[in-house]
Amino acid sequence: MQIYNDYKEHADFLTVYVREAHPTDEWQMKSNLKDDVCYAQPKTLEQRVVIANDFIKRFKFPLPFGIDDMSNGADNAYSAWPERLYIVDESGRIAYRGGMGPFNYKPAEARTWLAARYGEVKHETPVATSSAAPATTAAPSSTPAPAIATPAK
Amino acid sequence: MKRFWKWFGGVLGVLLLAAFAVLSYMAGSPKDAYGMVRYALPHMHRGTLKVGSDAPDARLVALDGSSRFHIRERTGSRPLVLVFGSFT
Repeated sequence: MQIYNDYKEHADFLTVYVREAHPTDEWQMKSNLKDDVCYAQPKTLEQRVVIANDFIKRFKFPLPFGIDDMSNGADNAYSAWPERLYIVDESGRIAYRGGMGPFNYKPAEARTWLAARYGEVKHETPVATSSAAPATTAAPSSTPAPAIATPAK
Repeated sequence: MKRFWKWFGGVLGVLLLAAFAVLSYMAGSPKDAYGMVRYALPHMHRGTLKVGSDAPDARLVALDGSSRFHIRERTGSRPLVLVFGSFT
């Protein structure tokens, strides 16, 4: 949540829940079992809403949140699956376009953009500068945090 | 000629097996290698958005399951950091 805490006074944040990356009926990962994050791919909006709320509850997730509807309009428009970061500037244009997660999902790049604009926020302990591998990572991950949680690092 | 195709097929098969073995090693297991090929590869080059493109709009559903809002409603006054992801 660090990037959000550091820059929420300057920028707005919006988390968009898109279709699951590793549901039980598709490409489930061992880490999902270990972390007890086991959901089938939602077939209805109601199922997506339930999972999104489970997520919020489990991680006490503070960022503003929206759910992509079953037409996957946000996912398609932003090529968002499985995870991705963007920054939209005040004129409504893409100012930063992150790569496709998990391997090219790099919150540190978004932080750099914000830091260039609003100044670096210093921490006593260094903020992670690389993309922490989320539970959706194709390679085994020891990080229990789910895909949505990582951007806030 | 028949012999050539036999060899060609054999070499191709071995190369494909080797590629799958390497991918399995990188991904963690054969199951994950299959998942990567089946689910991730088709998405690798999706999207045409670039820095400077107009940010597309999309309608989203709020956590209450009934309210709707648009991404565009959240843009304009300050930069908007968009974070896409899922639980798993």
